[in-house]
Amino acid sequence: MLREMRINIRSKIAIGYLLIICCLGVSIVVVTERIASLQEEIGTLTSRDIEIHNLIASIRYHAISMESSQRGYLITGSDADLVPYTDGKAKWEAGYNSLSQLISQQPGMKNELEEIKLTIEKWIDEVGDPAIELRKRNDSAGMIRFFTEESGRTSLDALKERFGSLTNRQIESTRLHILGLDNRNRLLTVSLYVMLAVVAAVAFLIVSFVSGSIVNTIKRVVKTIAEIASAGGDLTARIEVRTKDEIKDLADATNQLLASLETENWIKTKVAEVATMNQGITELNALAEAFLAKVAPIVDAAHGLFYIREGSGSGQRLVRIASYASDSDASGRSGFRMGEGLIGQCAQDKRPFLLNKLPEHDVKIVSGLARVTPQSLLVFPIEFEGKVEAVVEFASVTSFSTQHLKLLEQIEDHFGVALNNVAGRMEVERLLSESRQLTEELQAQTEELQTQSEELQLQQEEMRITSEHLAEQKKFAERKTRELESAQKELEAYSEELRKSSQYKSNFLANMSHELRTPLNSILILSQLLSENENGTLSEEEAGYAAIIHTSGNDLLALIDDILDLSKVEAGKITLTIDEVNVSEIPEQMKLRFDSVANSKGLAFDCRVIDGVPPLLHTDGQRLQQILTNLLSNAFKFTERGSVALTVRSADPHKVQEALPLHASGDVLEIAVTDTGIGIPEQKQELIFEAFRQVDGNTNRQYGGTGLGLSICREFAKLLGGTIELTSRVGEGSTFTLYVPSISGEQAERLASAYEEAAAAVMMPETPHVAADRPQTEGADKDDRLFKGKRVLLVEDDDRNVYALVRALEQKAIEVKVAGNGKECLRIMKEEPGFDLVLMDVMMPVMDGLETMGVIRRDPALKDTPIIALTAKAMKSDREKCLEAGASDYISKPLNMEQLFSLMRVWLTKQVGH
Amino acid sequence: MSVEREDKHAGSGTNAAQSEREKLEIHLLLEGIYSASGFDFRNYARSSLRRRIYHRMQLDGLLTVTSLLEKALHEPGYLDLLVNDFSIKVTEMFRDPSFFRLFRQRVVPELRRYPEIRIWHAGCATGEEAYSMAILLQEEGLLERTKLYGTDMNEQVVRSAREGRFPLKRMQAYTKNYLQAGGAGEFSSYYSTNHEYALFDPSIKANITFAQHNLATDRSFNEFHVILCRNVLIYFDAVLQRRSHGLFYDSLAPEGFIGLGHMETMAAAYKAKYEEWIPPGHLYRKK
Repeated sequence: MLREMRINIRSKIAIGYLLIICCLGVSIVVVTERIASLQEEIGTLTSRDIEIHNLIASIRYHAISMESSQRGYLITGSDADLVPYTDGKAKWEAGYNSLSQLISQQPGMKNELEEIKLTIEKWIDEVGDPAIELRKRNDSAGMIRFFTEESGRTSLDALKERFGSLTNRQIESTRLHILGLDNRNRLLTVSLYVMLAVVAAVAFLIVSFVSGSIVNTIKRVVKTIAEIASAGGDLTARIEVRTKDEIKDLADATNQLLASLETENWIKTKVAEVATMNQGITELNALAEAFLAKVAPIVDAAHGLFYIREGSGSGQRLVRIASYASDSDASGRSGFRMGEGLIGQCAQDKRPFLLNKLPEHDVKIVSGLARVTPQSLLVFPIEFEGKVEAVVEFASVTSFSTQHLKLLEQIEDHFGVALNNVAGRMEVERLLSESRQLTEELQAQTEELQTQSEELQLQQEEMRITSEHLAEQKKFAERKTRELESAQKELEAYSEELRKSSQYKSNFLANMSHELRTPLNSILILSQLLSENENGTLSEEEAGYAAIIHTSGNDLLALIDDILDLSKVEAGKITLTIDEVNVSEIPEQMKLRFDSVANSKGLAFDCRVIDGVPPLLHTDGQRLQQILTNLLSNAFKFTERGSVALTVRSADPHKVQEALPLHASGDVLEIAVTDTGIGIPEQKQELIFEAFRQVDGNTNRQYGGTGLGLSICREFAKLLGGTIELTSRVGEGSTFTLYVPSISGEQAERLASAYEEAAAAVMMPETPHVAADRPQTEGADKDDRLFKGKRVLLVEDDDRNVYALVRALEQKAIEVKVAGNGKECLRIMKEEPGFDLVLMDVMMPVMDGLETMGVIRRDPALKDTPIIALTAKAMKSDREKCLEAGASDYISKPLNMEQLFSLMRVWLTKQVGH
Repeated sequence: MSVEREDKHAGSGTNAAQSEREKLEIHLLLEGIYSASGFDFRNYARSSLRRRIYHRMQLDGLLTVTSLLEKALHEPGYLDLLVNDFSIKVTEMFRDPSFFRLFRQRVVPELRRYPEIRIWHAGCATGEEAYSMAILLQEEGLLERTKLYGTDMNEQVVRSAREGRFPLKRMQAYTKNYLQAGGAGEFSSYYSTNHEYALFDPSIKANITFAQHNLATDRSFNEFHVILCRNVLIYFDAVLQRRSHGLFYDSLAPEGFIGLGHMETMAAAYKAKYEEWIPPGHLYRKK
């Protein structure tokens, strides 16, 4: 009962004091009572003894006065003298009675008193009264006898004696009384001290109990608090108090504080854990994964999803980027619009949603053994600077506690920052790596510059030393320059003449090339697209047709190139570059080139140099090589079994005289290409050198080729001052013999007029011309990310090409805008600025590509837009004009799409360092 | 200009002591690297090395050059990092296009008479120059009989050179250079691309050999018709420049060509042994 009862400190102290006061009161009452009884006793004792004393004195007085009065009377005989006697006689009796009553307790004194009484009575009876009688009768004789007998004297003496003894007794008794009082008095003193001691002890006990019960509790509280403080904030400890007082209240309050601190601390720790978890994560998905993995166990969630806000404006969506303990991909939607569902609503309202006691939920929490329906669902936003960056959803089989909610509220803020940081960091890292690269390059450039400046200084000194020498030379040079200038003027005039004269032919060639290639271009591109059959809409067979169309187109293209070659040679548009050719090298080069062909066809390939050939030959090595390549290709083409042989020897002078009368004096090389192929009938041997002639129609079909190769060979041979002869028998094989003389530069000039070189690519017979032939380099891919959403302006007048190109570009998700001519192009670029790239055909009606590029480049806003010129392949002059007009790069038609895409990747990539 | 300024700074009392100590520290570092790895930077131009050293220190938060040496000796991989830092990696395709144009016009005709041509790109870094040369020779019909050697002291960049792929973000500049250098074909026909790199055609790569070679310590390894060492010697001090020139001279075939950077000139000691083939273009021909 008492334990249960609540006693506060005030009552404890009050009770203590009350107890002490009670003890004091009791002791005072006891002492007072004792003192009072003592006092009374002293009083009684004093009054009684005094009375006894007085009574004894009065009896004694009466006895003595009676005796003296009797004597007086006896002498005088006057009655007046007898008064005291009678008075005494009457009164002593009363005194005796009182005394006898008083001392009734004291038998000794009583006996004495009786003795005295008897003595007095005896005196009265024997002495007093008879003597008085005697006097009254005047009996003198009796009186004399009386006196003589002196009987009275003796009795009076006895009386006196008795009185003395009585008084002594009485004094003795008084003394005894006083002694008794003294003893009691001492007792009282002692008991006073004892009582003091008892009260003191009681008071001490109470004080120690009360103070103990207060101080100990406080000490325990203090100790616990100190422990908590010293244990580095271990907040799990609690203060235990057994008492039920204010300390208990204090302890309870402190415990509450601790509990709330612990919660706070827990939240802080978890927030910190989540915050530290972010460190080192540089990628949003990883961050989201880590966040879920961290937070879900903390809030006892068994399932979690992470949605991040993507896009802007009305296109904002919340996209799931991470999940926790997800059932399968099906669980949880992958995305929400703003305001859609709880997730979207949460993002819009910027407030969390907590759903408890879900009735039936689609989502189950799945373990190996069980499928549990979550009880509670929590959706909360993660904000940064007042903007919802992400939304997280948790499901739990239990309910979320307020502690969890509080924690999430805190985490939300921190994590918003972290999220933003990571997103920022991803951006920053990207920028940083770019800028680092820039810095490195800059630094390297700076270094070079610095070193260069040092070098310059050195050079400056050197220059100063040689400047005098230079001054002399300068005079000489000036004179030379004047001479040169005049020579140059002459040359310029001459070359201008030449240029004009060749202008018409060159224009014709260019136009021809362009006109033929333009339709071919669309055929090639579209047939390639078809044959790739990316949509899978064509049957295999149809795709095969498309591939055949593509191959045929390529053949056609090769044909056009050959025609162009031929016409150029015939128009004298080819310049010779005369240099020294190492003769012994020729077979080796050819062997290198054709060995693989020979091996694949199972043919023997023999290359020989017969002794006695001149080691060096002055001629155009490249053309020579081209002739031989053509001849050998031909030989291999028409030979099914046996061998192909290349023989190099010094030409027989007679033969030379006959075939090349002009070069009879110099070295002439004879190079024979012999095969064991089908051979050529005699009547057709002359025909095969003419353009487009093969042995018969079938040959063409069977062996392919344009039939222009030999024509070109013969033209080249002529160009080199040589000739080609043929001996052949049907079924046995053919031998083509090339005679090449050693020629000097002047001779070469005579042979080929120095026209502006119109052909660049023509000179490389093996240059692959077509897309399909071009092998994909390892590592290149069809990655289209660079193209996605790029804006390209295609300027092209030919509808077929436009169609083909647009289709091909749009397949790469490029945004294509088409302009039919230069004017339209300029208009579109003005109206819709911001094109990433311009593909510009050169030949167009109204305003051609060159003029258009010129205009574009003069516009400061457009001068950096990459422009790719689409040129006719062979026209090197065209290319130069394109570059002058401001093209960034060029590509020739028909377009090789793979090459075009490579080129576009280059020009669509943001550049550094320049 | 900036050199003068630095000198002025070094003029005052404590700065002088400081720069003395720094010189000593750099000296010890280079000796240490040489002893530990065999890479000899002791004769590299100090001003350029110093900048590289300080750049590395700044990156790694180091206060003294000596702590760099300590890391180099104790931390695995750090030595390679330093060697990589110190090697020169600045290069581009058809760098200084006029050089290539002149090479095409003036040197290629001379090369035609050789049955086999060997070209050495000394200090080729990531190989851009070698690829440029291969393209040029391809267009001139000489590539088939040419063997190109690209060497650099830095194994890492040599490896990267072998790959023959260059970042797309430099390719526009390369295209411009190619066109200015008088390219006769279409630059885009030599490469294909992915989203990050331009990958050069295997036919271009086929005749190029990349290898590790150190101009400071290694000897000649063949006889060449052309040696190109452009913008490399500027990073060397006079001693190493002389050594390199000696090495080049010994490695050149008679009448072979040597090309230097547009800010470099032939060492005085060798001037007489060469004919200045293209006076302003820094192309010399061995007499």
